Amino acid sequence: MKKQSNWSILFKGILLENPVFVLILGTCPTLATSTSVIGALGMGLAAAAVLICSNVIISLLRKVIPDEVRIPCYIVVIAGFVTLVEMFMHAFLPDMYDMLGVYLALITVNCIILGRAEMFAGKNTVGKSALDGIGMGIGFTLALLAMATIREVLGSGTFAGIPVPFLYDNPISVMKEAPGGMMVYGILIAVVNKLTNGKLIKKKSFGCEGCPSAGICSKGTCENTAKEEG
Amino acid sequence: MKKYIKSVVALTAICAVVAILLAAANSITKPIIDKNEAAAANEALLVVMPNGGDFTTVDLSAYELPASVNEVYAASNGGHVMKLTVNGFNPGMVIMCGVGADGTVTGATCLSSGETLGHEKVYGDKTVGATVDTVDSIDTVAGATKTTAAYKSAVKDALNAAIILGGGSVELRTEAEILADNLAAALPAADGFTSVFMIDTIEGVDSVYSANNGTGYVVCVGDSFVATDANGKVISEGASTEEKAAATSAVATLLSWELTAIDLSTYADMPSAITAAYSTSSGNYVFDVKASGYGISGDKYTASGEYIYIKVSVTADGKIITCETVSQKESDGFGSACADASFYTQFNGKTAETYKDIDAIAGATITTNGYTTAISRVFEAVNILKGEA
Repeated sequence: MKKQSNWSILFKGILLENPVFVLILGTCPTLATSTSVIGALGMGLAAAAVLICSNVIISLLRKVIPDEVRIPCYIVVIAGFVTLVEMFMHAFLPDMYDMLGVYLALITVNCIILGRAEMFAGKNTVGKSALDGIGMGIGFTLALLAMATIREVLGSGTFAGIPVPFLYDNPISVMKEAPGGMMVYGILIAVVNKLTNGKLIKKKSFGCEGCPSAGICSKGTCENTAKEEG
Repeated sequence: MKKYIKSVVALTAICAVVAILLAAANSITKPIIDKNEAAAANEALLVVMPNGGDFTTVDLSAYELPASVNEVYAASNGGHVMKLTVNGFNPGMVIMCGVGADGTVTGATCLSSGETLGHEKVYGDKTVGATVDTVDSIDTVAGATKTTAAYKSAVKDALNAAIILGGGSVELRTEAEILADNLAAALPAADGFTSVFMIDTIEGVDSVYSANNGTGYVVCVGDSFVATDANGKVISEGASTEEKAAATSAVATLLSWELTAIDLSTYADMPSAITAAYSTSSGNYVFDVKASGYGISGDKYTASGEYIYIKVSVTADGKIITCETVSQKESDGFGSACADASFYTQFNGKTAETYKDIDAIAGATITTNGYTTAISRVFEAVNILKGEA
C-alpha cells in the first residue's frame, strides 16, 4: 500500500474520499436525517464519535482478532460504542435523542463505520486509524450539514430552526421528502465531482482490499480492475 | 482446532468487555433517564394543574367514569388530572383537564386533534375556574361550535369524573337523553319530537325536530336550540338575531320541500334494493332503500331475514345529505345498532368514493356489510336516474 502522510489521512475524508459524496457510503442515514440542520449535526457528531472510538479500538485489537471472526468482532465493538452514545444522549441530550430516533441505533450498521474498520483500522496503526476516523467523521458531518442546509432552508424555510424570510412562507415541501433528498444528494455528488475535476478515488486505488468480497475472493487480482486497465 | 478456540475466546472476551462497559454506563445513565422521563410526564400534567406536585396513575377499574375518560392521575394536592378523548369536528380530540380538590377546573389543554381552525389550542383557558354547575354557561366559539362544544363536554366529563373519584355520584346521561332534555326545554308545549328528514342542506342548520303534537319545530343552530311555532315564527327569546334568522329560514325551507315520486318501472337497471325514489324541487333525490342484514326470520336471525329499511337523501352529484334507518329487525344488541343515530349519521356527507369509510357495528359484520351495500345502490340509482349508467 502506498505510504500516506498523516495530513493526507486526515484530510482525504473531507473531500477526496468523502464517505458520503465520493465513497457513496451511509446513504440511508444521510437521506433520513438531513431534513434538519440540528438533527444532521447531532447525527454527524454521534457517528463521528463512534467512528473514531471504534477505529482506535479495532486498530488496537487488530493483531488479537482472528481473521475468521473479525466482522462479528467489529460489529460488537461498534454496537457497544453506539449503545454508549445512545445511553448518554438519552440521559443528557433527550431532545436530540428523540429527534434522531431509530437512526441513532442504526449507526451500528452504518457502512461508513464498518467500511473504515474493514478497509483502514484493521490494517493500520492506532494513530493513523484515529486520524482516519476524525477525517471521515468530519467528512460525514460536513456532508450531512451541506445536505441538511439545502433541504431545511428550501423545504421548511428555516435554518437550524430560525425562519428564513420569504422561504418560510413559501416552503418547497418536496425537499423534506425522500425525492428532494435524492435530488440534493445527486446534485451534490455532481458538484463534488466537478470541484475535484474528476480526479476522485479510482477503482484501482481501492485495490482488492477495498472490495466487499475481498475476504472470500481467492483470485490474486481483481478481474474488473484488470479488464478496465487492459 | 486451536484456530477455532482462538476465535471463540477472542469473540467471547470482546463481548464480555463490551457488556461490562455497557452495564457501567447504564448504571450512570438510567437514573438520569428515569428522572427526565418522570419530569417530562409530570410537566405535561403540571400544565393543567400548576400546583399539582407529584402525580400517580389511578386504577380506573374500580370506578364507573364517563366513557370519554381514558386516564386519570391523582395529584398530591388532592386534585385529579384526566386525559379524555372526544369527537369534535373530527374524531379523536385528546384533552387533558385538571380538576382541583375543590371541584374547579385548574386548566385544560388539547394534546392532539384533527380540528381545522385551532380553537382547541386556546379554548382551554376559558374553562379555568369552571365547576360542574357553571361549565354549561361557558360560551362556545362562533364558527367552531362543534370543536368547542366537544371541548366543553370533555371538561364536563372531567368534572363529573372528579366527583365520582371523590366518592360522590353523578347522573351520567346518554346523548339521546341530553338531546331530549334540550328539545323539551326549548319547546315545552311539545309532547315528544321527531327528527325531520333533511332532503336538502340548510346553511347553518345541523338538524330540525318537529313536535309530535304539531306545536312547532326546534332548529339546532350550532349548539343552540331555537324553537319556532308551526309556521316558523321564532318563540325562543334567548336566541341571537342570526340564530333566529337561520331558524326562520330553515322552517320556511322545509315547509316548501316537495317530493315528486319517480316511476321506477321505467328504469330497467334500477337495483332491486331501491323500493321508492323521489326527486326534490332543488334537484336532489330521496330514496327508500332496503338492506339485507342479519334480520329475524320466524324465531331466529339469518342473513335472509327481515330487511333493514333506510331513507337516504342525496344530491344530484352523488353526495349523501341525510341517511336514516327507518325500521329494522336485526339481532338485538348487535345489528340493532344500525338504528342508532351514531351509526347511520356516519353516512351523511359521504360519496361513492368515501361511503365505506365508516366505523362498522361491533359484532355485526353482516349487518354493516348489508347496510353499506344498500348505500352503494343509492349511488348507482343516482347515476341511472341521471342517465349516466
